[in-house]
This record gives sequence, C-alpha cells and structure tokens, in this order.
Amino acid sequence: MNIPKHYTKVRDVKITPEELIAFEDRVRDAYEAGQVKGPVHLSKNNEKQLIELFQYIHPGDWVFSAWRNHYHALLHGVDSEKLFSWISEGRSMGTNNLNPNFYASSIVGGIVPLSLGAAMGLKRSNSPRRVWCFIGDMTMETGVFHEAYKYSQNFNLPLQFVVEDNNLSVHTPTDVAWGKRMDVPENVIYYQYKMSYPHHGTGKWVNF
Amino acid sequence: MGYKDELVKAMEWLATKPDTVFMGQAIGMSGHAISNTVATVSQDKRVELPVFEETQMGIATGMAMTGWVPITAYPRFDFFILSLNQLVNHLDKIKDMSKGEMNPRVIIRVAVGSKLPFSAGPQHTQNHTEAMRKMLTEVEVVELIEPEEIFPAFERAYNSNKSFLIIEHSEFYGTK
Repeated sequence: MNIPKHYTKVRDVKITPEELIAFEDRVRDAYEAGQVKGPVHLSKNNEKQLIELFQYIHPGDWVFSAWRNHYHALLHGVDSEKLFSWISEGRSMGTNNLNPNFYASSIVGGIVPLSLGAAMGLKRSNSPRRVWCFIGDMTMETGVFHEAYKYSQNFNLPLQFVVEDNNLSVHTPTDVAWGKRMDVPENVIYYQYKMSYPHHGTGKWVNF
Repeated sequence: MGYKDELVKAMEWLATKPDTVFMGQAIGMSGHAISNTVATVSQDKRVELPVFEETQMGIATGMAMTGWVPITAYPRFDFFILSLNQLVNHLDKIKDMSKGEMNPRVIIRVAVGSKLPFSAGPQHTQNHTEAMRKMLTEVEVVELIEPEEIFPAFERAYNSNKSFLIIEHSEFYGTK
C-alpha cells in the first residue's frame, strides 16, 4: 500500500485480523438468524491493509466511510458492542457517531463532499487533525470525486482519500462498465482486494 | 426598511458570530443579487467557491459537522436543485443516521429569479419551495415574502439546533 512518506504512525492498533473477522462472523450469524432488521455489507480480506493504515490515523481524526464500514469503525475506535447494536437495529449503513468522529453513508460519492467540508472546517479552525475518506473504485470514477480531489489538492486541505479497489459496484465490474480504469490520482492511497461476501447479505436466503 | 436592506442587516448580524462562514459562487466577490447583501461582511468570513452545487452543499454540511455554521448561498433555485442529493440524502438525514449525535447547522440561502420587470426565462425563475417542504424532514423551509420576516427568520435559524433552507425573491429586492 502506498502510504505517503510524510505520515507517521500515531496509533497502536490493538485489534487483530482474527478479531475483525470474528466481528463480521458474529454479524453474519445474527443476520442469517433473522435478527438484523436491515441490509448488511460485510468486509473480509482487507484486514491487514486496514490495520496497517489505521496506525497512521489519529484517534481525533475524522473518518468517512461508505456501506462497507464495519472494519473502519472498529479500527477508529467505535465501541464494538455499540456498533453491533446499531447493526442489529438495521443501521449497518449509517454507523455514525462523535468521539471518535466517524460518518458512513450509502449513497455513492455522498461522503466525498462531506469529507471535503470537514477538512475545510478543520483547516479554518487551525486544527492539527485531518480527514480520511475511504471510497471504492467506482466512486473514484465519479465526477464528484474529481471535483473534491481537485479542490482539496489546490487548497492543500487536510484530506486523505483512500481507494479500496474490489473492481465492483454491487455486481458491476468497474472496468467493464467504464470501458477502462482511470489512473489512480497522485497522493491517493490505494489498495486492491478480493471480496469474500456479496455486496449485501451473506449469500444465504434469510426469512425475516 | 426594505427587503434588500433587511437581508443586509441579517447578514451583518450573522457575521458578528465567530462560528459563521459565508460561501458560494459570487460570495467572495460580486456577481449576483445575493452578492450585494454580503458585500459589507468582512472578506475573511467569505469563501468564493467554484460552480459545483452538490459539492458546495456537502462542503457546508461537512464544515458544520466540525462546528461551523455555514451560510451557503445559491443565486437561483434552478441551480440549487443540483445540490439536492447532499441536501436530501445527507444534511436532512444525518441526525437520524447518528441517532442524534450529529446535528449540523447549515443556513442555506436560495433566490428565486425575477420575472419582472423582465423574465429571466424558464431555467432561471423556478420556485420549488413546496417541493422542498415535501422532500425535507429535518431541514426547516422558510420562504421570505415580506421585509419584516427576514431578520427574525435568520435570527431563528442561527439560534436553532437544526438547519434551515431560506428562500428569498430577488424580484422583491427592488419592489418591497
């Protein structure tokens, strides 16, 4: 993973890959038992990349995520029981809270302008903290990303984009739908991984 | 005091608050009717933005999440509707999606284009106030018809714990 050299490690991440997987297994089991009253978007196969990256994310930073947000929330310090409770209520796609500052949205590209604004707010407040915006490969191709990336670079805002590339938007391969893939912009952290779960759910039919 | 002067008075009052910031196209400089109502606000409180309406709404919401109270302006309702993804899906839903932990306060100014003494045409004079009232759950919608409604509306918006969409009529700048 191409973490820029100007970042230093600011957090001792204590969560292990096995603990992350176990959390999602617990959600999977609850979902398949019909106990989760809304869609879930489970993560797997990117534990090591995220554990490495979150060592560079300060506990006071803002983290913006999308529907595949459980790992991000846990690694940023959101209490695992609170997170599980919210997911059980059907809030898997909106696990948002303050301290730690964490916002997730399930509209493609929706978090991009929000993260830009949060970065502008932090800079205007002379805060030493920054914003980390995790997006997928399809979001990277959208116009709103281009606007926000360009603006953040031009005004030197404390905003770091991270692209998590599984080459999928729901079931649509990004490279097929766009004809080709764009180059990853400068200063964007990027890694590829292969999905283990379907876009939402667990792959099993569940009667609610 | 007339319609435009009441708007100027409200903006000058908002500018006295340390947590406010004014933003939009032609907010840092001249360009349209709303520009003239913030001309007396100090330059360091004003942010000139590119034309990117949806991103502009997200910027205002994101800044509000970090404690600022943005006053974000759109010179025509016709242009403002390009921002509705961020308004309807995010600013209006954040309180619900955070179970009340996040409650960003944004004051949105939108102008309805004039039809008199000449009409700016079908893409520059639309008024979708009633549609906004139907689409929004948390964001309060206020339409400013009379001059005496203006200052109290902005005063209430700033002192409230929610966001406001405040709609004005540029036609009234010269007629009321």
